[in-house]
Amino acid sequence: MGIVSTDLHKAGAIAVSVKDVGMVFGDVHAVRSASFDLPKGKFLTILGPSGSGKTTLLRMIAGFDNPTSGEIFINGQPVSAVPPHRRAIGMVFQKLALFPHMTAAENVAFPLKMRRHDARTIGEKVERYLELVRLGGYGGRRINELSGGQQQRVAIARALVFEPDLLLLDEPLAALDRKLREEMQLEFRRIQKELGVTTINVTHDQREALVVSDEVIVMDGGEIQQKAQPVHTYRSPANAFVANFIGVTNFIDGKVSAISGSTVSVESNGQLLSGVTAADGAPLVPGTACSGAVRAEQIRIASARAGLEGLETIVEGQVADSIFEGERIVYEVTVPVLGGAILRVFNHDPVSHLQFGPGENVRLGWNAKDMHVFKK
Amino acid sequence: MTGSRSKSIVIWAFVVTALLMLSAPTIVVLGASFTAGNIITFPPEGLSLKWYGAIAQASDLRQAFFRSLIVATICTLISIPVGTLAGIALSKYRVRFARTIQIYLLLPFTIPLIGSGIGMMLVFGEMGALGKLWPVGIATCVINLPFMIWAVTASASNLSPDLELAAANCGAPPLQRFLYITLPAVLPGIITGSLLMFILALNEFLVSLLLVDARSVTLPVQIYNSIRSIITPDLAAISVVFIACAGVAIALLDRLVGLDIFLKSK
Repeated sequence: MGIVSTDLHKAGAIAVSVKDVGMVFGDVHAVRSASFDLPKGKFLTILGPSGSGKTTLLRMIAGFDNPTSGEIFINGQPVSAVPPHRRAIGMVFQKLALFPHMTAAENVAFPLKMRRHDARTIGEKVERYLELVRLGGYGGRRINELSGGQQQRVAIARALVFEPDLLLLDEPLAALDRKLREEMQLEFRRIQKELGVTTINVTHDQREALVVSDEVIVMDGGEIQQKAQPVHTYRSPANAFVANFIGVTNFIDGKVSAISGSTVSVESNGQLLSGVTAADGAPLVPGTACSGAVRAEQIRIASARAGLEGLETIVEGQVADSIFEGERIVYEVTVPVLGGAILRVFNHDPVSHLQFGPGENVRLGWNAKDMHVFKK
Repeated sequence: MTGSRSKSIVIWAFVVTALLMLSAPTIVVLGASFTAGNIITFPPEGLSLKWYGAIAQASDLRQAFFRSLIVATICTLISIPVGTLAGIALSKYRVRFARTIQIYLLLPFTIPLIGSGIGMMLVFGEMGALGKLWPVGIATCVINLPFMIWAVTASASNLSPDLELAAANCGAPPLQRFLYITLPAVLPGIITGSLLMFILALNEFLVSLLLVDARSVTLPVQIYNSIRSIITPDLAAISVVFIACAGVAIALLDRLVGLDIFLKSK
């Protein structure tokens, strides 16, 4: 957000520019009029559920499919007429697509061989990039002799060894178990920073998007829902979809009763709740059907008599369920004044080991600025 | 657990019977070839290698054997490019009328061999090519080509389409993608198919019979001709040589690609 694209174009600082790109398969619009600019050296994540068009967009950038409308520019040059093997783009595939009949080193050497580098340069570079991905000494191994994590690293080295203008990651971590996946996320981040290569990562893992990226694009139904820095995406979702897709969010349905500046008053079941307009969202007027979104971790839970000082919205409720998850407790609280809505609350008091049980009466409180109001 | 024991006895009995039935002809021929007598009998009368000596001396058998080798080589050399490309195309690309093409490719194999044999006899006869060896090579190739295509498609269908995209992404133009990625990936299928084609062409009798004349008989036809006169143990000996050739091919296949490709092929 807030990038003045014309200035950056002049400076030649834009690596990838996607302009009104659309993709139609038969009568399915996989991608609709997507546009964004990605400055050089940045790490962009395209986040979305399956079928959101994120992979289609990535394949178009790689050159495997051509957009049915719009144009993609790489370093300022339109690339529709450029076949994939002439685009200097490295890619790590979802299933890695390592060449099974070659060793790790031969896989990494392949892009250099195709570019007709001499044998000495190839040898040196393969060694350097295997070192970079911490696989020094593993070059002679066959692909099926390597573990899942090591195969990932070979795929990264192969995608980077020819110093591409752009690195594409097509959910390469999706198949890994959680611990290895988190380790590899940080590894991607480290390598990307070390080389400064512009990167586009596609994932449906919201945590990964927040952890690794400079910028996050959220896609749904073939359309870009929001493009912003991770913190901004999390704290100021542009619409209900983004708020729901990232994090655990409670939605309280109602109607806009008053609006002044960014402060909105929402009427829900006769209650007046205070919230703020979404920073990048659709405009609201009094009377609009709307939805107030509050993150589960931004709601404080306390016993029925507690004060909850400093919180602007306070409601009474009854614990329906309480689930111990280790570092936090997840409560499901029924709130009669909000028409019996069930709110999800993350909370933990690790000092007093306090946990409310089902049936207990509690009070919930949150700040007005933490309730984002979206048009319904 | 008498139930499971009796079941396993039945199964084993079945397996042993099946194996005996399958190998009986080979055992009989093998035994008969070592006979010291002058007629084919089983069990053999005494042991000797004299009939192997006899076939080494018999120039007509030897020449027929070489002719069969030539036919099998021609057949294999033609089938490798044709079968490989057809197999890859059928499994990898959404070829228009793929099913129709597959059925068409099966035709020479499904219609009775005598029918296609007569068809080819007419065609090659018209061309004045009867009695030469290359028409036999082509004919055996046409008849058995489905085996080559099956072997290649079995390998190619295991090939992830991402591999070629990855190669493109690495900077490989289409021809290099084919040479460096697709071809090595289907190589086990090509080897399997080639050996099969070689053996099938070496053994082919019916179509050979229709296409050869007295100067160009192949080994199976030669053996058949001999049977019609007097049945001597040298026929058993040459059969054993024949079986040995097939055995060598199978052993080679197992070493090169492993026999499990047959189990995996669809």
